[in-house]
Amino acid sequence: MINIRQLRFRYPTGTFRLRIEKLDIAQGEKVAVAGPSGSGKTTLLNLIAGIVLPDSGCITTGETRITDLDERARREFRVCRIGMVFQEFELLEYLNVLDNILLPYRISPALTLDQSVRERARKLAVDVGIEDKLRRLPRQLSQGERQRVAVCRAMLTRPRLLLADEPTGNLDMDNKDRVLDILEEQATAAGATLITVTHDRDLLHRFSRVIDFADLRETGA
Amino acid sequence: MVRFFGLAGVAGLLLAGCVEKTPEQPAPEDSRLTVYSVNYPLHYFSQRIGGRQVIAVFPTPVDVDPALWTPSPDTVAAYQDADLIFLNGAGYARWVGLATLPEARMINTSHAFEDRYIELEATVTHTHGPMGDLGGNHSHTGFALTTWLDLRLAKLQARAITDALIKMRPAVAETFEARFGQLAGELDALDARLVTAAEQLEDTPIVFSHPVYEYLQRRYGLNGRSVHWEPDETPGMRQWRELDELLRTHDARWMVWEAEPAADTQAGLESRGIGSLVFSPVANTPVSGDFLAVMDAQISALETAATGL
Amino acid sequence: MSDVLYLAWRYLAHHRIKTAILLFSVTLILYLPNGLNVLIDQSASQLTARAASTPLLVGAKGSPLELVLNSLYFESDPPETTTWEQLQRVRDTGFASTIPLYVRFKARNFPIVGTDLGYFDARGLELAHGRMMAVPGECVLGWDVAEELNLGPGDHLISSPESVFDLAGIYPLKMHVVGVLARAHSPDDRGIFVDVKTTWIIQGLGHGHQDLSRPEAASGVLSRSENTIVANASVVQYNEITTGNMASFHFHGDLSAFPLTAIIAIPADDKSRALLMGRFENPEETQQIVRPTAVMDELLETILTIQSYVVAAVLMVGAGTLATAALVFMLSLRLRQREIETMTRIGGSRATIIAVLAAEIASVIAASAAVAALLTFLTGQFGSAVIRNFILT
Repeated sequence: MINIRQLRFRYPTGTFRLRIEKLDIAQGEKVAVAGPSGSGKTTLLNLIAGIVLPDSGCITTGETRITDLDERARREFRVCRIGMVFQEFELLEYLNVLDNILLPYRISPALTLDQSVRERARKLAVDVGIEDKLRRLPRQLSQGERQRVAVCRAMLTRPRLLLADEPTGNLDMDNKDRVLDILEEQATAAGATLITVTHDRDLLHRFSRVIDFADLRETGA
Repeated sequence: MVRFFGLAGVAGLLLAGCVEKTPEQPAPEDSRLTVYSVNYPLHYFSQRIGGRQVIAVFPTPVDVDPALWTPSPDTVAAYQDADLIFLNGAGYARWVGLATLPEARMINTSHAFEDRYIELEATVTHTHGPMGDLGGNHSHTGFALTTWLDLRLAKLQARAITDALIKMRPAVAETFEARFGQLAGELDALDARLVTAAEQLEDTPIVFSHPVYEYLQRRYGLNGRSVHWEPDETPGMRQWRELDELLRTHDARWMVWEAEPAADTQAGLESRGIGSLVFSPVANTPVSGDFLAVMDAQISALETAATGL
Repeated sequence: MSDVLYLAWRYLAHHRIKTAILLFSVTLILYLPNGLNVLIDQSASQLTARAASTPLLVGAKGSPLELVLNSLYFESDPPETTTWEQLQRVRDTGFASTIPLYVRFKARNFPIVGTDLGYFDARGLELAHGRMMAVPGECVLGWDVAEELNLGPGDHLISSPESVFDLAGIYPLKMHVVGVLARAHSPDDRGIFVDVKTTWIIQGLGHGHQDLSRPEAASGVLSRSENTIVANASVVQYNEITTGNMASFHFHGDLSAFPLTAIIAIPADDKSRALLMGRFENPEETQQIVRPTAVMDELLETILTIQSYVVAAVLMVGAGTLATAALVFMLSLRLRQREIETMTRIGGSRATIIAVLAAEIASVIAASAAVAALLTFLTGQFGSAVIRNFILT
């Protein structure tokens, strides 16, 4: 599903450099990208998501060559085909749970918010166990509940690819397992590829494939 | 041919209908002027001159001297609604000076001869405090009131009424003028008779029962002196003595009364060789007749008296 | 578009205090200059209308503004008085009809306006109840007077002494209410209208008392000569005019010297006005003739000058407030950077994100504009009443 070839990336400032000769991830794989904090794992996700472009090389997701798309096309591709879950949850504090889940449909003209979407959102909320909290604001939820809201938001567009950046970084042990279970269940149910970036080695056993980020990138002086 | 004359006849009838003067109809109610007067002579003049173009009102009760009458506030309010208010002037009707009346609609009918008012000698006045009035002495000299007894002045008052009516209804000016002309002629005739009668009287002394004949006296040159006798009251001893004292220097042959004096009074006068002659100022509505009729009768009586001398 | 507006609305509703403050500030900035203009325009109209309906005022030489304010608005201390003789002087020219005014006394804090029937015609005043005053001692109340004092025809009202210790001069007169004027939406609503002779009686220039020539008044007689009776201070003077004692009322002194605060002159035409004004141009003239419109225009010019400064100040404050609001917004944007980044990362369109932020600003401005417009409209509707009730009175 994801194919990366001769990728070269370097931030304009700083010495960080990323170089990936080849990386393939099949559709439906549950992959963990492990590495220490600050190693550039988030940058990898940003490259895969098309948030940033590499200096050279190509990234293909499905049949779409991300690196050939302009920014607008990449955004549309991202909102329609990729779901993202973040360490800090990144919920909008002034929207209730339901509106947070529906957010992608409100901020992209590529998506149309209709009754079927609302029903899908409610079903997702049921699936992750927060159906009684739809009218609440994020500040009224626990950490675990917030992350579950984020998962629902990521899954609402029925993405083919789910990118989770340190999804359990701010959770306690119980919630870590619970959220990871949900991520896996949702990805499996949707037939989506799950790429989870984490620095927590205790969680790696849950994944069928672990990519050590140190093996992927090169840093240079 | 027949048809032509028929049409001509119809046309002629139509034209005749247009030319023929329609009889005088009362003016529509809303175009009639409502005029109030403060005494009967002015009321009479306004009726004579105004005709059907006015509703003339004189609300003073018949048994009250209009000069001394004080209307109720409601009656004053009725005066306020009048189109014109005819005042006599010379301070007549003291209430006018106190009441609230529309200045623009008040007509002083004697304005034209204010310089010919007859000033009266001081009557009883009052002041307040030992120093008198701080603003100056309060003296009520005043003027004689019965201006219309000089029939030339009466004509001028009628003229003032005519001018006021014409100003309000210029469209009917001709009618008002015609009526005034008629009234003026009648007043002139009466005036001429009075002049003749007065000439016949020459300087014959007469006594006026009340000081209300100043204008009559001045206009017609009557040699008169006044006392303060009421027609319906028998004079007391003091009054007879005052009369006798007066007669010593003013040997009057007639006493002129505002109304028929009491029989006793007449008898007392006759014993002194003085006849009684009624010459009412007609300030209020007469029991019978109208102003000119009453004046005509009175002048006739005066003529008789003058002839008999 | 609905999603954009929805997100903007949710943001504003969530931060309601901040939104309220912004709304309030922007509304004030938008409303104040307009509201001020409307209020001042209405004030000017009312002042001008009142002045325009009063062609000329004649009074003793002095402050024209004081003469106008006392005569048109029954405010300010009474000016130096003119006299009845001056009224006759104007009348005798034939150039104008005249209306006397004597506005000096009060009853229960409402001005007593001594005048004649011509005043009501000139001002277009109609009766709501009762009738016009007919004799001294009767009064007609302005609408507000009747309402506030709960008085109507048949009631009475006592004039206030000018000074508690003024024993020898102005004393209270019990006046009879005979009518109430319909609401005029002018200073006339707060007037107590009497015949000018009544104000002279209040002043003590006229009075009524027992007939001094009668025996029952003997105790009030100081001395008596053939034609003159001098009364002492014990003679009973009436402080109420009734049908029973009205005939006894009289004035002492020369009527032509009796006081007025002003004379309203209504010229027949422009030529008459010019001729009449020319009669008062003599440098030794003791009277002045003013055109109230000219006096009010001068006053309004001063007000408008002040208004310009006020509006300029308001605009400057407004600019400062807008700058502060812009700063608040920019700081808010900085604080929301993460939120914007999130929306970008999950694929939100840049245009939509910008639209949401712009919609927040536009909503505040639109709501403020709507409230400001409503306030301006209300000012236009009720400003006249505010001016009449709280500013001109």
